[in-house]
Amino acid sequence: MANRRAIVKRRKAVRNTKKITRTMQLIATARFQAAMNRAIATRPYTDRLAELVADLSGVAGDYVHPLMEVHGSAKKAAIVILTSNRGFCGGYNVNVLKVAAGRLAELAEDEIETDIYMVGSKGTRAFAHQGRDFRESYTHFGEKPEFAQVEPFAQDLIERFVTGEISAVYVAYMHFYSPGKQAPEVFRLLPLTAPGGPEASGSKADYEIRPSAQEILDQLLPASVRMRLFQSFNDAVVSEQIARMAAMKAATEAAEDMIKNLTQEYNRARQSQITMELLDIVGGADALA
Amino acid sequence: MAQGNLTVSVVTPEGAVLECEAKSATFPAYDGEMGILPNHAPLLAKLGIGVLKVVGVDGESHRFYVDGGFAQVADNKLSLLTEQACPIDELDKEAVDGLFTHASGLKATSSAEFEVRDAAYERARVQRRLTR
Repeated sequence: MANRRAIVKRRKAVRNTKKITRTMQLIATARFQAAMNRAIATRPYTDRLAELVADLSGVAGDYVHPLMEVHGSAKKAAIVILTSNRGFCGGYNVNVLKVAAGRLAELAEDEIETDIYMVGSKGTRAFAHQGRDFRESYTHFGEKPEFAQVEPFAQDLIERFVTGEISAVYVAYMHFYSPGKQAPEVFRLLPLTAPGGPEASGSKADYEIRPSAQEILDQLLPASVRMRLFQSFNDAVVSEQIARMAAMKAATEAAEDMIKNLTQEYNRARQSQITMELLDIVGGADALA
Repeated sequence: MAQGNLTVSVVTPEGAVLECEAKSATFPAYDGEMGILPNHAPLLAKLGIGVLKVVGVDGESHRFYVDGGFAQVADNKLSLLTEQACPIDELDKEAVDGLFTHASGLKATSSAEFEVRDAAYERARVQRRLTR
């Protein structure tokens, strides 16, 4: 009897958990849509920016902007790691931290000291647990990173790079390829890789440039650095929601399985009790006869 | 004049603010306002802080606040890339005072910092003028 009641209790608990995970899945789905729309909204700006850079770099000749300069003198780099503030998202944070730790180890091998800029409380906690030091850790970016929030951060990195304090900036985050595919990645934010490449389809128009190609590049390149950083924030948020969706879906399904098993167990226990009672009655009747 | 219209688009990192057909547009270049009519020669220009005025196909004009960036004109398309842009009536009056305090709080000990502070003041001034 006690056993049966325990099963019922347990089943109720699992049902409640399922309700929660199911709701979280739905919320993550809604947030994913919103985050994805935001990530897509940045595309036109990024595309135009890249177009402009390609157009201009053709005109500006071999002008090397400070942001593109490789100065290997400083034995110091910085890495920005984008993790989430909340859990319940499966291996999302673990995967990002793994690639970040990999890059950190590589840098350490080259005897480059690396400043860690950690975004997200999950990553902060994990790295603090490993006993690593941060230069900075942020938790205020949240689920809707705004350009105005990311900009001062980018500006700070640019400044440290230009003054030669650090020789490179890396960003570790979950790259969003499509709703079906995301992968943890580390890319180099600074120094900027020179644009151009084969698709320098520019020069289609003979631009009148004011004030000068160089001056525009001076503004354009920092803008594209800011933008790339902003985009990785957006990517990270979208990937986080996808990871949470998947994790919660799996949890809901696991809860369903568990409920099924528990129901079966409960029915079996009930049946065996009835059988036992019947046997008692029949046994009693037999004894009287 | 039997000429086409101009396509004007304003994009910011957070999305497109405007995408429309227009008869003409005036945007704030770094050194003053610049007017664009259809069939303008290709142009790249740095933007200042100021107002973008777009005269739509229906002859009505719309005004937008634009905060720096770049303008590109090619093939009857004017695109403005800017980090912040919004219709003038969406500017926040209360926030403008905040901009002034922010600007006056900036320290300016190097020429780069001076530039940043000047830009902050300019931004505050332009926004105040527009929200009056």
